[in-house]
This record gives sequence, C-alpha cells and structure tokens, in this order.
Amino acid sequence: MKDRISQLVDGELESGAAEQLIGQACRPGEAAETWRVYHLIGDALRGARPMSGDFAARCAERIAQEPTVIAPGRLSPAPRAWFPMAAAASLAAVALVGWVAFSPQRDNATPPVAATPPAVVPVAPVAATSVPIPPEANDYLLAHQAYSPNISLQGMAPYVRSVSSER
Amino acid sequence: MSVEALAPARAVALCAAFCAAAAAQAQPEEALALMRRIHDATQKLSYRGTFVYQQGNRSETSRITRFVAPDGDIERLEVLDGVPREIVRTRNVVRCYLPDSRVVKIERRTERSFPALLPERVGALARHYDIALGETRRIAGFDCRAVTLTPRDNLRYGYRLYADARTGMLLKAETVDRAGTRIEQFTFTQLAIGNVTREMVRASHPAAKWRVEDAEAVPARLEGWRLSAELPGFQKVMELKRRMGDARPVSQLVYSDGLAAVSVFIEPMEARRAPPDGGVSGSGALHMFSRAVSNFRVTVVGEAPAASVQRIANAVEYRPQ
Repeated sequence: MKDRISQLVDGELESGAAEQLIGQACRPGEAAETWRVYHLIGDALRGARPMSGDFAARCAERIAQEPTVIAPGRLSPAPRAWFPMAAAASLAAVALVGWVAFSPQRDNATPPVAATPPAVVPVAPVAATSVPIPPEANDYLLAHQAYSPNISLQGMAPYVRSVSSER
Repeated sequence: MSVEALAPARAVALCAAFCAAAAAQAQPEEALALMRRIHDATQKLSYRGTFVYQQGNRSETSRITRFVAPDGDIERLEVLDGVPREIVRTRNVVRCYLPDSRVVKIERRTERSFPALLPERVGALARHYDIALGETRRIAGFDCRAVTLTPRDNLRYGYRLYADARTGMLLKAETVDRAGTRIEQFTFTQLAIGNVTREMVRASHPAAKWRVEDAEAVPARLEGWRLSAELPGFQKVMELKRRMGDARPVSQLVYSDGLAAVSVFIEPMEARRAPPDGGVSGSGALHMFSRAVSNFRVTVVGEAPAASVQRIANAVEYRPQ
C-alpha cells in the first residue's frame, strides 16, 4: 500500500489504480494517513510552509457548506491534467479534486468530505460571491455610502469603494 | 507541604482569579471609551493623510484631507491611483467629481436625513457585537490601540479598528468575517494631524461646465413597500425618494444595525435595461443583489455578508394599498 501511495504522490500510477487508491485515501484510514505523511515529508524537503493542523478538516467543513450546485460547472478535467497538480497538493486538495472529478460517476454520490457536519450552518444558502460588483453599479454604491453610519467612525474613506476605477 | 502552607498560595490564586474577572469586566468599558474617542476624533480633528484601501487583490491609494471650521467641516477625498476621482463633503452636500466623464454627482443632506452613529449610541452596538480592546501596534508612526467588534451572529461583519492612543484618530480599519479572516482594510501610510487650510479641501476641478447629476434626495414615505421579515438587528433608518444616473426616479430604504447599513433601491423596470439576473456580486465588504418584484427592479446593496443582503432582498414585498 505504501509503495502505491508513494507512486500516486509522484504521479506514477496509472489512472485506474490511481482512482481506486484516491477513493481509499479519501476515507479516514491508513491510506489517508500515509498520503498525508508523504506530503508532509515532501513539503518539509521542499521547505514549504506547513498548513495549520486542522487545515484539512476546516477545508472539508467549508466544502460541506458550499452549495453542491457548483460542482457540475467545474467538471471534466482529464486525469492527466490534474495529476501533476495533485502531486503537489495536500490531501484536502485531493479530496476536493477527487470529489469534483469523480462525483458524476457515482449515483448521487455524497462528497466524502461532506461527512464532517458543518460547524456553523449558514442562515441562508450562501451564494458564491466571486462576481465583482459591476462598475455600472457605482451609482448605487455612492447613494448607499452616504447613509451608512459607518462614516461616523471611518470618515470618508469608505467612499473609495463607490468610485472604483475598474471600468 | 502542609495545608497551612498551601493557604497563602490559594489566596494568591483566588486573588489572581478575582483580578482577572475584574479586568474582564473593565475591558468593555475601556473599549467603548476608545470607540467614543475614535468617533470624536473623526468629527473634530483636522488632518491630511494618505491611505491604502485593500480588498482581494485590489489595492488603491487615496489622499484624505479634513478641515474643521466653525461654519462646518469640509472633507476631501482624492483617489490617487488610476483615473482621478474626487469627493468633497461639506456639512450639507457631498459632491463626487468624475473627470473622465465630466460629471459631478451631488447628494444633499439635511441633518436628520443622514443616520449617524452618535457617541451615546456606541454602547448600543454591544447588542450585536462583542466589543473589546485589542493589541497595540505602531501604524504610520503612531502608537495605536485596537478595539475589536466581533459580531454575535453571522448576519454582519466584524471590525478591528486601530486608533492613535494620543488623539483617538483612526489609523487602520479592518473588516473581518466571522472566522476572523480579513475582507478589506483601510490603512493610513502617512498622516499629519492639524495644519490644514481651507485651500487644501477645495475641489481641484472647475466643474462649471460638467453635467450635474443631483440626487435631489428627500425623505418620503414609500407606500406599499416593506420587508416581509426584517433581518435581526437591522432596523429601517431612512426612507427617501431620489434620482439616480440620468435622473431616473428611485426609492431608497436604508436598514442599519447602528454601524453596518444595507440600502434597498426600488425603481420601475426599464425595457432598455436587462432584467435583474438574481445573482449576488461583491467587492470587499460590500455585496449587491437584485431581483424583480412586481414590475420593479429591487437592488440591495450593503456592507454586510452576501447572505444578509440576499435575505433582505428576498424579503422585499409590494402591497399596494
């Protein structure tokens, strides 16, 4: 098992075996632990800064809170495309990639990481907010800014948010 | 060791515990006092300085100048990066100069029309935020003390405010989410208190020939518009009618928890504008969400988490009398 995990870490395993092994490594157990330790060794050799101890757990928790609807949008990276990436990534990252890459093959598969119950249940479905506010909306921002009590503490500084140059 | 020998040690431990408890009690009052000092400094000091606004990978430098005068204070903000932009605020008017489009946007105010955080209301913020003194840190040459506002729920953001220990002047303001992760920050990189002249707060643009977009905002009662469910802690503080952009009429409702605010804009749906897509957008602490209600476009904007903005937007309803 350890040899195969080592091969997986180095990106030397063929895809069928890799898929099976990733499945194992995604569940708590020896495979997962070995995977983690090998990456830790690799990181230490490269002098990379270690993640905090509970990084994987917290990452898993966040993922569990994400609306699952984002998964189909990011589908279909070919295994080859993500293998070199995976070799450099932590278990948490692989859990994410594994979930994104493999979830359609399983029937209504629960992402393995979602097994951790979320610590804080969002009050409403938290929408993805990666979309920046468009410059056309500056009028609304400017109109809003004048009425925020926040300016009593911060003065006019927050106004810079409403006159964005990104146009 | 005998029982008697332990007694003094126990007394010391007890005393230490007591003192710690007393310190924990005293902390909020000191923290509130610092908040009030920041508030007073923001209203009473003349200063000129350069600050950086950072959000995501955007970072923008601006200069702010504040001139205190008996006949009303004047504050001037100049964005130094990219396209020049400038905002000048006097007691009653906010003018926003956009030289690239030769437009000046005007927002007039009456004393009662701008909800302010009053010093005596600072204590009321403790209903929604845990307020505590934080670390000391040197910022732009000033020895600062932090006051932290940790939200009691996930409907609002938290703040870390660093103020000059001597004057109370706010040197750095960070907005943080519930996990303590920084979302945006304003930091002075250089600041001089005092020695400001009226000349320094005068707008640099002779905007006489520019297009004027006057909001003509007036407090009003908006018949039929309400929230089916208010967001806990956020109360309606303003209701007004105004103009926006090319003078189109827009209604505005403002909800606030005393510090953060969320505005609801309501306007008739226009054929030439795409209907609201129902998506959330965000920049730093600001989030925006729009949706259609009856035949109106409802746009909600505020310095609150996306879920809060979305919740207010989804609660907006129209019941014509």
